[in-house]
Amino acid sequence: MKASSLSIGFRRATCSFCRLSRQAQYESNGFRSFHPPGVSRRHLATTTTSPVTAAPELNFSKRDGKPIDERLLKRVRIVPASPSYFSGKPVFTDGLLSMQALLRKFQTLPCVEPNDAPRVAWKRFREYLGQVNEPVKAAKYHKIIQILQRLNRIHPSLMPEEVTEAMKRYKRDVNPHDNQAKPSFVDENGVSRGLGRRKTSTARVWLVEGEGEVLVNGKTLTQTFGKLHDRESAIWALKATNRTDKYNVWALVSGGGTTGQAEALTLAIAKALLVQEPLLKPALRRAGCVTRDPRIVERKKPGHLKARKMPTWVKR
Amino acid sequence: MIIRRSLLRQGCRALQFRGLTPYRRFLSSEIDGINTTSDSLIDTQVLASREAEETDPGPRDTFAAQNYENFKHQQQMLGKLGSIVEPHYQPHTLVNNPPRPSEVTLELLLASQAHLGHSTSLWNPANARYIFGIREGVHIISLDVTAAHLRRAAKVVREVARRGGLILFVGTRPGQDRCVVKAAELAEGCHLFERWIPGTITNGQQILGKCTMKVVDEFDREVKEFEDQIADRPVLKPDLVICLNPIENYILLHECGLNGIPTIGIIDTDANPTWVTYPIPANDDSLRCVQVIAGVLGRAGEEGQKLRKEAAANGHITFNPARNLEMPDKEKIKEVARRRTSGLDYEEELGIGAALMQEPKSKEDELD
Repeated sequence: MKASSLSIGFRRATCSFCRLSRQAQYESNGFRSFHPPGVSRRHLATTTTSPVTAAPELNFSKRDGKPIDERLLKRVRIVPASPSYFSGKPVFTDGLLSMQALLRKFQTLPCVEPNDAPRVAWKRFREYLGQVNEPVKAAKYHKIIQILQRLNRIHPSLMPEEVTEAMKRYKRDVNPHDNQAKPSFVDENGVSRGLGRRKTSTARVWLVEGEGEVLVNGKTLTQTFGKLHDRESAIWALKATNRTDKYNVWALVSGGGTTGQAEALTLAIAKALLVQEPLLKPALRRAGCVTRDPRIVERKKPGHLKARKMPTWVKR
Repeated sequence: MIIRRSLLRQGCRALQFRGLTPYRRFLSSEIDGINTTSDSLIDTQVLASREAEETDPGPRDTFAAQNYENFKHQQQMLGKLGSIVEPHYQPHTLVNNPPRPSEVTLELLLASQAHLGHSTSLWNPANARYIFGIREGVHIISLDVTAAHLRRAAKVVREVARRGGLILFVGTRPGQDRCVVKAAELAEGCHLFERWIPGTITNGQQILGKCTMKVVDEFDREVKEFEDQIADRPVLKPDLVICLNPIENYILLHECGLNGIPTIGIIDTDANPTWVTYPIPANDDSLRCVQVIAGVLGRAGEEGQKLRKEAAANGHITFNPARNLEMPDKEKIKEVARRRTSGLDYEEELGIGAALMQEPKSKEDELD
């Protein structure tokens, strides 16, 4: 039985039966040159000592004689990487769409109040712009931030991982709680400091428990302020809390005029008092000592005589 | 509906309860600063101590997850109870599961208010052939004409998709974004729901220069070995533009006309039908009508993509391949292979290797 006399079909049919036992067959016969199964089906019926090695099978997949790699060029086309290509800002648009889809998916989950949601520092617009490098407007970026703030309100025990991953991409690389105010304290002599400003005046105050003496720039209160109103407002913080006889005040005030300096002292003494007694805050707030009055003299504008005053109107 | 939502509302109220609200009543703002007695100081002390208690959330928060689970379970068990409502219009189905071109009927178009044109004093006389008549001082568009034009447009979209064309869906009115995105997703094209930047086609290099492209084979697999060559390529232009509000986007349509890009548009009675290549006379002010039309055209694109992929599986390339591309050199092939094995490219593109191995089958290749 020779290989050439067998038809291709018969060989294919029998190879599946014979392949497994070929190794055993050869080993039992003790042939030195062992051909592993699968090399060629022509070894099926011939012995390994035959000098004739048939040519490899024909490869009909190479059509027209052209190499395969050149034909790849006929099968490729160029498409946009993102469906938002024609918006000019594909990264931003895809980001917005994915955020909206996320919100739609999880909008029925219970939420907490905005104040109870974890405090997060989202990426600033400039930072986002630098990263994305697209002509995005701030108002459009704010849309993403609004969705993130809503997603952040999902109850922590039910927060999905998908949402956490999405929020990470927009978080600033900073811990918002790193910015802690320097704690103000009462020093070893029992002195607390306060700083207050009003209009262009600045007042620095040192407060210590004492008999109720007040010195402003080395002078007494009556010497500094001619008006009774100014004298009263300067120590309003102590008056409102009935502590005029409990603390001594040493103050340095500069800038502005009498009323400005008096009001600056109000704020400074209030701040110094809060260091000594923090629980007085609601009482001082009701008394109006805690807020820094932001009013300043309005600038003069072109076309006006003063900030608001206009020249006399002339009919013609 | 009330029973179903009651538990959710109770749950919400439980989360919203904060012990702080009753205390605010005691803090009155009418106390005169000078005449305050020690009462206000007592209030602040009480407040401070209570604030200290409120810093930790307490056991109330641990019930939220359980409450939600209970609510979901209850919804599942009892949700199907109650009366069975007859099949009715559900707005979300138009976006999530849009109708096919074969499902377009005159009843559907009528229900979507596609027949409502504008006031007779505002009409464009070029639309006379699409108008059925007048009612209450408003032109009524003939729905059989609408349906015929819609079917024609759907065929155009299907054939462009089958030939691997780039289809752009544009709808810039508020509320049209979802249907535009869905239609583009179905047709595997592009979407635009924000303002069209004038010059995107005529001055494309300036506006779209930074937007990335990719090279894909007939099975839509990305061939990363070409990424160097497409870096300097000129920007892409769409092969078909579908505009859902042509009156606002006349600049887009003009640019398409200048560049030989065919357009499909929803033409209302006050719009100019010559602005688009394939007008669809319908109501562009009704969101429901716009969603139906966008959905139908999206589905047509989906059919075209399916036909293209079937042809590719059978060995027929239906699109015009990209020109001026060269075979990437061996270093590039090795580099991409290295990136893939080291896990830098996370996507599952098979690259040139598979593209080379899986040649399209053709009849001449088979033996016997």
